[in-house]
Amino acid sequence: MRGIDSNETDFLPPDVAFRVAARVDGNVVKVRWVIADGYYLYRRKIEVKAESPDLLVSAPELPPGTVKTDPYLGTQQVYTQQVEAVVPYSRIDAGAHPLQIKVIYQGCAEAGLCYPPITKVIFPSVGSTAVVASEPPAPWESTAIIAGACAFLLAGLVLRKGRKLDTPA
Amino acid sequence: MKSSGLRYLAGALVVLLGMWAGLKFRAAHEISAPGVAVPAGLASAPDPKDSADVEAAAPHPVIPARLPDFSLNDLSGKSTSIAAWRGKSLVINFWATWCAPCRREIPLLKTVAADWAGRDLEVVGIAVDYADKVRQFTGQFKIDYPVLIGEQDALEIAAKFGMDSPALPFTVFTDRRGEVVALFLGELHRPQADLILSEVQNLNQERIQLPEARRAIAEGLEAMAAKNTG
Repeated sequence: MRGIDSNETDFLPPDVAFRVAARVDGNVVKVRWVIADGYYLYRRKIEVKAESPDLLVSAPELPPGTVKTDPYLGTQQVYTQQVEAVVPYSRIDAGAHPLQIKVIYQGCAEAGLCYPPITKVIFPSVGSTAVVASEPPAPWESTAIIAGACAFLLAGLVLRKGRKLDTPA
Repeated sequence: MKSSGLRYLAGALVVLLGMWAGLKFRAAHEISAPGVAVPAGLASAPDPKDSADVEAAAPHPVIPARLPDFSLNDLSGKSTSIAAWRGKSLVINFWATWCAPCRREIPLLKTVAADWAGRDLEVVGIAVDYADKVRQFTGQFKIDYPVLIGEQDALEIAAKFGMDSPALPFTVFTDRRGEVVALFLGELHRPQADLILSEVQNLNQERIQLPEARRAIAEGLEAMAAKNTG
């Protein structure tokens, strides 16, 4: 019966809808999101921060997004399919700590469902091949630390500490 | 693995065990695609042997058969129990100000509240958000049905409906006895709301029993989805 045991109208788990990975490329970290069909990420909600204590990162350089106008939320720039952020970085004490970054992003399904901000700590891979999580959970286990047991609870943490659940506008 | 292999089965909702146990899924491509109503009690875990998809063995939501008791602050900051509306059918809408589909469905919820006024049905919004933002928003959008507000506490209430996984909006429908008739994940549209409320009304008037109502809802939603995707 649809709605009970059918997948016909269901939504993707957030980590399937939005797969993120990062790699080091010279003096930048490239963070790439692969976005499932029918889903989108808000440009303004993408953040990349230093997690390693000796790491300094600049604001992510993001390409222009697609303009999306919602009568109830206004005009936003969003990404579909995939997007890559280029994040210049420097190390105060290179080698003392593994390179870790924290990425924060938020998106929705076109069909009418939104996910609270997702936060992940990632060890960017080194070399030319980005480690992109193809599906949960195995590919991520080697590259990311799940910052919490559940993104909803993460959202709650963000609600309390970071006040990140703002309107993307 | 191919994307089709990633699809989690089972409707609407929810993951009991954290990040990976998730919503069963399928990418929905149309705005008009409905969410999923999961009649309580029918959202039990399937026998893994019944499915070739390994992910089908992921835990399924266990939606409470009856509306759990909980309290949250209202817009004025007064702690309010959901039991304040005991004896009424409820449309409990979980939403947030940052959520576009949540915003889009508010006019519908206002209409439902108005259409059903005086018929023992109440729409109650539960904003998973900051109180100041919610107060500002409810004034701006002239929300005239009761709204309760919570942060972590609201998330914990959402979890009581099996919504451990992050997703908004979702809407819980109960009959006047407090039985959870359906949980609809995603943006609610008028046809789905009318379908579910029609069955709630049938239940309230004792024209049908709960299993029959749930079955009618599931079949009705299936027909709507087929029409939208066909």
